[in-house]
Amino acid sequence: MKTSLIIEYARRDLSERFAGSEIGGLWNVVWPLVNIAIYTIIFSKIIGARLPGDSSAYSYSIYLVAGLLPWNTFSSTITRITTVFVQKRAILTKIRVSLPYLPIYIVLSEAFIYFVSMMIFIVYVILTGYEISEYIFFVPLIFAVQQIFAFSVGFFCAIFYVFMRDIGEVVSIVMQIWFWFTPIVYVVTILPETLQPLFRYNPACAFINSYQQIFLFNQPPFLRNLIFLAIIAHIILIAAYLIYLKLEKDIRDFV
Amino acid sequence: MIKAENISKSFKIYEKPSDRLKEIVSGLDYHSKVHALRNISFNIEDGETVGIIGQNGAGKSTLLKILNGVILPDCGSFINSGRTTGLLELGTGFNIEYSGIENIYLNGMLLGMSKPEIENKLVTIKDFSDLGDFINKPLRTYSTGMTMRLAFSIAVHADPKCFLVDEVLTVGDAYFQHKCIEKLREFRRNGGSIIFVSHDMNAIKMLCDKAILLNNGEVVEYGNPDHVVNKYSFLTAQMIDRGNKMLVEDRENISYGTFEAKISSVSIRGEMSESDIIFSGEYAVIKVIVESQVDLSDLAVGFMLKDRFGQEIFGTNTFHHGYDISLAKKEKLAIVFKVQMNLGVGKYFITSAIHSKPTHGSKHLHWAEKVVSFEVAGNKGNYYEGVCKLYPDISFDKGSD
Repeated sequence: MKTSLIIEYARRDLSERFAGSEIGGLWNVVWPLVNIAIYTIIFSKIIGARLPGDSSAYSYSIYLVAGLLPWNTFSSTITRITTVFVQKRAILTKIRVSLPYLPIYIVLSEAFIYFVSMMIFIVYVILTGYEISEYIFFVPLIFAVQQIFAFSVGFFCAIFYVFMRDIGEVVSIVMQIWFWFTPIVYVVTILPETLQPLFRYNPACAFINSYQQIFLFNQPPFLRNLIFLAIIAHIILIAAYLIYLKLEKDIRDFV
Repeated sequence: MIKAENISKSFKIYEKPSDRLKEIVSGLDYHSKVHALRNISFNIEDGETVGIIGQNGAGKSTLLKILNGVILPDCGSFINSGRTTGLLELGTGFNIEYSGIENIYLNGMLLGMSKPEIENKLVTIKDFSDLGDFINKPLRTYSTGMTMRLAFSIAVHADPKCFLVDEVLTVGDAYFQHKCIEKLREFRRNGGSIIFVSHDMNAIKMLCDKAILLNNGEVVEYGNPDHVVNKYSFLTAQMIDRGNKMLVEDRENISYGTFEAKISSVSIRGEMSESDIIFSGEYAVIKVIVESQVDLSDLAVGFMLKDRFGQEIFGTNTFHHGYDISLAKKEKLAIVFKVQMNLGVGKYFITSAIHSKPTHGSKHLHWAEKVVSFEVAGNKGNYYEGVCKLYPDISFDKGSD
């Protein structure tokens, strides 16, 4: 499978979901904006006060968006890759396609949505008078680690989804729970102190907290945690690939 | 060139896919096995057209899928020297919201073409598809035939080394079909190979250099298409024979009469092909076996050939040939008609009847509608087209008006 085809697929993926609608790909950006507005309205008063520094509604929204945008990308990358083989069965059963290569188009199209949303977000940050530090150059790196992790987990689940469709629902539920166990709409300090150390074991905190560090506090990201996460991601990826090699024949038969 | 060696494929049948996981975890067996293909070997040279025939479930589609790389064989190897495009994947990845042009790009890339390659061929593909202005309209405005035409146009321009064709030459109107076959011929002349799965024995005989007969996942016959087609009809005949005795009774709903005498079986065999697939112009033997319940005399037994539209092609009976038939009680009689089948290619049915002579009021004792089918495929001798074979004498007369 050629790289050009993957890119074409990613491109189509962005426009395809809304093909035939009037504003097309713009819906990709409308959705996160609506989410952000809702969370900001509901949570800014409750949690904003707990944010260090000035506690304007702006600071809360920056905190929220810095975490929510990458989380959306992360979450939908995993859930969409999980079902990709079955979704694309019409093609897989007719044309030879490399199975580990195929899901990359999802990573690309999700990355593009993130990129566009980030551009809007950065303009917003500047307009609200917040400073943007040089640490922003870490963002692509953090994002890369996050997406490799998402791809590995997604690919792992995708293999098993072919045999057990329940996996799809399980993944959706786990992602939902995982979201609320990650400090994205709230700050970790509003939780009881006994619970707070547990968050160290949440791999998503490695990247979510790093984004928040950069955008809200102008601090460097948690590099050690990120390196650790990158290692975990690669271990999962290798494990998934080994399982895939063993099951490829069955996957192609079952899809 | 394609070279397949000892390809085997079995499908494990699980009650549900998760049983496969249970199997891995527990190490126990949770499946039953179905052998789809066993030790298949063949090779196809460049420029060769090979037909694959066999009854339903013989493994034809599985073989095509393996050749296409969509599923993997259990063991065996095959070497494929170039790009293989299946006409089985016509229109894969089409999005009905996109215009024809956009779908050409998407489908073309799926078939392995690069973007610049598609750009170069765009005009040719557009022209070939005959879609006119529709090419810029979304696919949902297309008729099924138009979609297939677009799909076919893309596929034939993908320039593969080998085409896999699965009964799809029924695309569009006669004009377009003709264009497709022309295109495939051109492709063959340029050294491309075609692998062809079909139930159309005539197409196999006319188009293929070699044929493969699959039965229960094994290659039963391989080589000259005429020979292989005969073997195939022999196999089908065996299957029909098994159920032949019941044939007439089974179709009680389309037979009627007083049943004082009954037609107990009707069969047809080509003299050379020894099967129910008959060359145009070949002699065939139609055998009608009748059995009487009571003593009868002044009977006539006849047959009528009908084409697939039910149109009566030819019919006659023993009375018109000057024979009288009398039957004693419980007597069996076989009436054998030897007919030269000067019919055009296609599927035909035989209707047979036993009745009293027209001078006795033509009372139907048993009328059995379309009890047996046969196929006229291929032609020995001078080429012709049409529904029947006539034998013109041609002479030349120079200088006269």
